[in-house]
Amino acid sequence: MQPETRQKIEALFEQYPEKRGALLPAIYLVQAEQGWVSAEQAEALAELFDLKPIDVWEVLTFYNMFYTSPQGRHHVYVCTNLPCSLRGARGLLKQIEAHLGIRAGQTTEDGRVTLGHEECLGSCGTAPVLRVDGRYCENVDAQEARRLVDALE
Amino acid sequence: MPRVKIDGTEYEVEDGRTILQALDDLGLLMNGVDVPHYCWHPKLPVDGSCRLCQVEVDDIPKLQIACNTPIRDGMEVRTQSDRVADARRGVMELLLVNHPLDCPICDQAGECKLQDYAFDYGVKHARTRDPRRPAQKAVELGPEIVFDQERCILCRRCVRFCRDVTGTAELGVFQRGDESLLETFPGKPLDNAYSMNVADICPVGALTTRDFRFKIRVWFLDDVDSVCNQCSNGCNISAGRAHNNVYRFTPRRNDDVNDTWMCDAGRLSYPALREGRLETAQLRGRSVAFNEAVAAAGAALRETREAGGRIVGIGSPFAPNEDLFTLRELLGAVGAGPGLFSVPLGAGDDILIKPEKAPNAAGARALGFVESGDVGDAALAIVLGHAAAGDALSSVENVILIDTHDSALASRAMVALPARTFAERAGTFTNHAKRVQRFLPFLEPRFEAWAEGDILTRLAASAGLDTDAWDVNAVSKRLSQEVPAFEGIDLDSVGDRGLELR
Repeated sequence: MQPETRQKIEALFEQYPEKRGALLPAIYLVQAEQGWVSAEQAEALAELFDLKPIDVWEVLTFYNMFYTSPQGRHHVYVCTNLPCSLRGARGLLKQIEAHLGIRAGQTTEDGRVTLGHEECLGSCGTAPVLRVDGRYCENVDAQEARRLVDALE
Repeated sequence: MPRVKIDGTEYEVEDGRTILQALDDLGLLMNGVDVPHYCWHPKLPVDGSCRLCQVEVDDIPKLQIACNTPIRDGMEVRTQSDRVADARRGVMELLLVNHPLDCPICDQAGECKLQDYAFDYGVKHARTRDPRRPAQKAVELGPEIVFDQERCILCRRCVRFCRDVTGTAELGVFQRGDESLLETFPGKPLDNAYSMNVADICPVGALTTRDFRFKIRVWFLDDVDSVCNQCSNGCNISAGRAHNNVYRFTPRRNDDVNDTWMCDAGRLSYPALREGRLETAQLRGRSVAFNEAVAAAGAALRETREAGGRIVGIGSPFAPNEDLFTLRELLGAVGAGPGLFSVPLGAGDDILIKPEKAPNAAGARALGFVESGDVGDAALAIVLGHAAAGDALSSVENVILIDTHDSALASRAMVALPARTFAERAGTFTNHAKRVQRFLPFLEPRFEAWAEGDILTRLAASAGLDTDAWDVNAVSKRLSQEVPAFEGIDLDSVGDRGLELR
């Protein structure tokens, strides 16, 4: 963990009634270093928070905006919950898989895109919904999905 | 104290107990009042994750989980209503959604809560059409534990054990929802001195011990009450026996001694009951018939007495109270001083493991044995066990050794006589907290061997002393009458939980 990250995390502690409450924003800060969180980083976090490494790892793996393995430069996540699925999200995901030549959960060989499926993004009224690098893309069809993916560098 | 009505019967319970705790306190849980449960364990914090223990409470519209519902005065609990049965059926069906139906090849079969409760409350046919979730098989979580991830029902008992009992926190549940999996932190094995307890508390066949895995079907085993002899804590154990073999030790619950746990070292100590034994009587290093060796020892004892030679007795912290008492009587009869003994020491911790690596050091002290290895100018030594005898005995011309296991001393001694281990006879040990605890025989000796006290009595008879045949029950009665510390404490009265010395 870089010293600046550590300083930023320590500054967070004051904002929460319990130190432990700062764990989520702290994980974001650590993840910003290399795009994912390693076991060593999780152990460093645990030490900083007076937690067991396993506690940090349970939180890390619980949320799907945290990554425990190296990721592509861009993230494309397709919501596959019920409303999106009713509006064709599963077919959409298959088409993106075919377009990129990878399966959900994998990264393209050039490290450009990591593809995944997502639980509910809370935008069922505009299903199907994609999350591209943290940005919502709504009412997406196959053509729009290809355009979005191809625009990523 | 609050009063509660459970299935129509009124009970008085302690303050602040949950429904399951109260039933456990009353000895009724799954023993008169059936409230099936997976995640709740009497010695672990409440998790509330399995949802199987739901019961009707008063007129609360929704069923309540018995593990996390504190009892209030006047509460009425119904554990056997149709609604409860229906809820159990539903929970069982969900727990079985991803559980493989592989009981015929699963080591837990026969002592599996999932199997038992599925039989009692489960639906007969699966309604699922999707395949069961595949996961990892035979994962070596650590040196002693093998994990079948598919069979895990995520009750988190093992997680809580490692967090709250050992404090090592090796296990966690990662991911979430239907992707949740039990795992260790990356690269960190489940490796602590108590790791094998997780296999006991695992209600299904997910966690198994490498040692016991696939050795024998559990329904072939008889469980015999015993006491671990690896340290002075005296953890209560069950010895799993079949065909005159012991297949495993498991902890036996005793809230005053070891709760429901035991250490891995104690659990893995059973092979020593068979290995390295002194199997034949020895006369100056030569194998002879048992009676011949006893006669030679008896003659030496008589001659030493007649010649006025000094006799010393060395007890053993591995010998039971009854046998030490017999040695004490013999030493008194031949005019020797109090017996000596010494205790092997090792590492201890704050959980169960004690530094004294023998089960009955406190018993030896209570019976007046002195911690010393100084045999002085003794001409004859009567020695129980070799654990601490060592070189001190090299100056003694005649050593009569009575021992369970072979040793250098056995071949050097004038006479060495094979004794039974605690597995092959009944008796009591006194643990570090002065609690006298009983063990029962679970193995037949494979060669001629007798209890130490029995051999001492034969030796005494052979030396011309007046004795009756040795009987552990009779000796135990006499011990309780003659030694004030043991007043009222004998093989019967200690029961299966033990009694403290006076």
